[in-house]
Amino acid sequence: MLVSLSALLYFCALFKMNPNKNRKQKMTRNYPLAVLLLVLALFSCDDNEGLPEVEAPSSYSFERNSQSTVSFSGQTTRIKMAEELNSAFLDFDNTTEALLLEMFRNDDGQGGDVSPFEDADLNSATKSIKSKVAASQDLFAANTTESSQIKAQFESWIAGQINEIYPNRNQLATAGNAGQLADGTSTRYVNAKGLEYNQAFTKSLIGGLMLDQLVNNYLSTAVLDAASNKEDNNAGVLADGKNYTTMEHKWDEAYGYLFGNAANTASPLTELGSSDSYLNKYLGRVEGDADFAGVAQEVFDALILGRAAIVAQQYEVRDAQADIIKQKLSEIIAIRAVYYLQQGKIALENQQYGTAFHDLSEGFGFIYSLRFTHNPIAGDSFFSREEVDQMIDDLYGSTNGFWDVDATTLDAISASIAAKFDFTVAEAGN
Amino acid sequence: MRKIVSLFLSFALIMACSSSDGEPTEVADNFDRSAMLVNWADNIIIPSYEAYASAVADMKASTDAFTTQPSLTTLGELRNNWLQAYTAFQSVSMFEIGPAESVSLRNYTNIYPTDAAEIESFVASGDYNLTLPSTIDAQGFPALDYLLFGTADTDAEILVKLSSDSYSTYLSSLVDRIETLSSQVLSEWKGSYRDTFVSNSGSTASSSVNKLVNDFLFYYEKSLRAGKIGIPSGVFSSTPLSDRVEGLYSKEYSKGLFNASLNATINFFKGKHFESESTGESLEQYLRYLSELNSTEDLSVAIINQFEAAKSAVSQLNDNFYFQVESDNSKMLQAYDELQKNVILMKVDMFQKLNIRIDYVDADGD
Repeated sequence: MLVSLSALLYFCALFKMNPNKNRKQKMTRNYPLAVLLLVLALFSCDDNEGLPEVEAPSSYSFERNSQSTVSFSGQTTRIKMAEELNSAFLDFDNTTEALLLEMFRNDDGQGGDVSPFEDADLNSATKSIKSKVAASQDLFAANTTESSQIKAQFESWIAGQINEIYPNRNQLATAGNAGQLADGTSTRYVNAKGLEYNQAFTKSLIGGLMLDQLVNNYLSTAVLDAASNKEDNNAGVLADGKNYTTMEHKWDEAYGYLFGNAANTASPLTELGSSDSYLNKYLGRVEGDADFAGVAQEVFDALILGRAAIVAQQYEVRDAQADIIKQKLSEIIAIRAVYYLQQGKIALENQQYGTAFHDLSEGFGFIYSLRFTHNPIAGDSFFSREEVDQMIDDLYGSTNGFWDVDATTLDAISASIAAKFDFTVAEAGN
Repeated sequence: MRKIVSLFLSFALIMACSSSDGEPTEVADNFDRSAMLVNWADNIIIPSYEAYASAVADMKASTDAFTTQPSLTTLGELRNNWLQAYTAFQSVSMFEIGPAESVSLRNYTNIYPTDAAEIESFVASGDYNLTLPSTIDAQGFPALDYLLFGTADTDAEILVKLSSDSYSTYLSSLVDRIETLSSQVLSEWKGSYRDTFVSNSGSTASSSVNKLVNDFLFYYEKSLRAGKIGIPSGVFSSTPLSDRVEGLYSKEYSKGLFNASLNATINFFKGKHFESESTGESLEQYLRYLSELNSTEDLSVAIINQFEAAKSAVSQLNDNFYFQVESDNSKMLQAYDELQKNVILMKVDMFQKLNIRIDYVDADGD
């Protein structure tokens, strides 16, 4: 029993605690032992090993005094704003730079009220996308320099769409010239270096808004346990005029960035992938890859159990779930980044530039989003600013950007992303 | 102790699971791929393009006759030649390889639904560039379908409209564009591409057989099964989309165009020479060869039977698929189901037997 326990600890350590190491290499080095350990691990490697039991409901619904305690309307609002902004990028007949910026900021730049959205509820909302971009407690509370650079970057993509793409939308794009390219029956609108600004913007927003808020802010102990949150939660002290404790609400807000736009928010997995164009969509895409099937349920279960643990005042259980979510959602971004680089590589080989640049534009955004991942072991992003900037530069930095990039570079970037996680380029790439 | 027992049990299980099941050893495949490529190129593909280009030339001649002297008679001739050319296109659409692939022939010739509003704005402004990818839904046969049948309620009114300079200029531009693309593709096939195609007779992913069989299946799955039947009948949406049928404005040709397409597909599978009863090396023969070689069931029989089942389901449909979707969509769905069965027989079973990898994925959807 002692042997098996220590083996278990060893294996759990191998599996869970050090995602940066290549699991496959270790296994080949000591094959028989590794197989024995694997068997043990299959039986016992439970993330909640040694933690108290917490009863979790099967859906994300929690009540106090027969009233729901779940609330994440602010997240739903921001997802809806992002959806309208996403469509507006290619609405050549109506869109202006001013309109896109108003949608991004939900003010006129001087704090004045604006009504850029079709949905009146969004116009009356006081929230905005921009205020929550690169705004997490863990990564940006003491790094406003980078935060403001990131916000400016998002606004520069908006400007590029209006100033570079719109005037050239009825030209064929060539190396060095903005215009349109065919991607099957779709038309893609790219800048002089082949980048679609709308893809750069929306895919970067998955990291910059949804993921950053989710993993680096609302699941952060600095936020969950801020001020007297723990004492209040233990004593059942509710937020002013609300039916939830502040800690419960913080956890819900994390949940809202993934499932907040679902039709059935309590049981959102049946419509996984179609609830929005952002994090939900790409969790769905990764779930659809046989190599990663099950990940959506894992994340969903962890969100439910963590929330139940808050109700049960079991904070270690809560934090163990937060770590699972941080790890898995970070992987989603990384898997999709590699996927698009590999798909882009195939299309480039076939000289399908429109298809290739569309993939690479999505890949560009997912790489940009890697900055907002969270490594639960390190308590920091999996990728530094410098690492992300280097990858973007390798992909897009040459004179003609995507027109110049080759398969070797795409493979090298893919490998450097996959190296931080437990998946291979081949698993992510198809 | 219980843990140790379970440990060994699961160890045994893992071993048992991982022992390779091993495919039955196959005898070497010596089917004459080269001869099949020659049959495809010389007896099917090039004659089909010749017939298409000739039908397009007739359509151009009747367009010129119409624009010179617009009348109900010349309009009738133009419509007739449009239908002949559109039907002939159904026999070449699947060959999206080489010259057709490099000019995106299918996308610039037969994207529907056509964008009537965009067409009207191009007609009004006279400002358009039909080589831009964003204009694929304002050109080709579906755009002509709109111009010739959908611009007004009666033939007399259509005649008045099309007689005006702006419409007649756009009409000629559309026909010229179709003509340019068709003759370009034909001349490349009759030039160097025929030999390039035939000599690339290996079995790698980039070989002519592997590529064209993929193109054939892609066409069958996306253009024929989904485009002509599945999408209008609502298989891919929450409600049927009757305005997505081929030949929406002329209202009576969707079934005829479908049949031309399905027959061309079957003829290609059987290696049947263009407009002849003779056959040559084909996918059917290839599958039969493999079944004899390996003493397995002949898959080609199942595929041909399934083609016949699809044909018979489609024979139940109205000439106008729009009407069919609106009146009794269940018949459209039945036809779809029969077509779908052959996607499985070909995409899974045939590709496996021929040892060809699918080289396309379902589009990401964004």
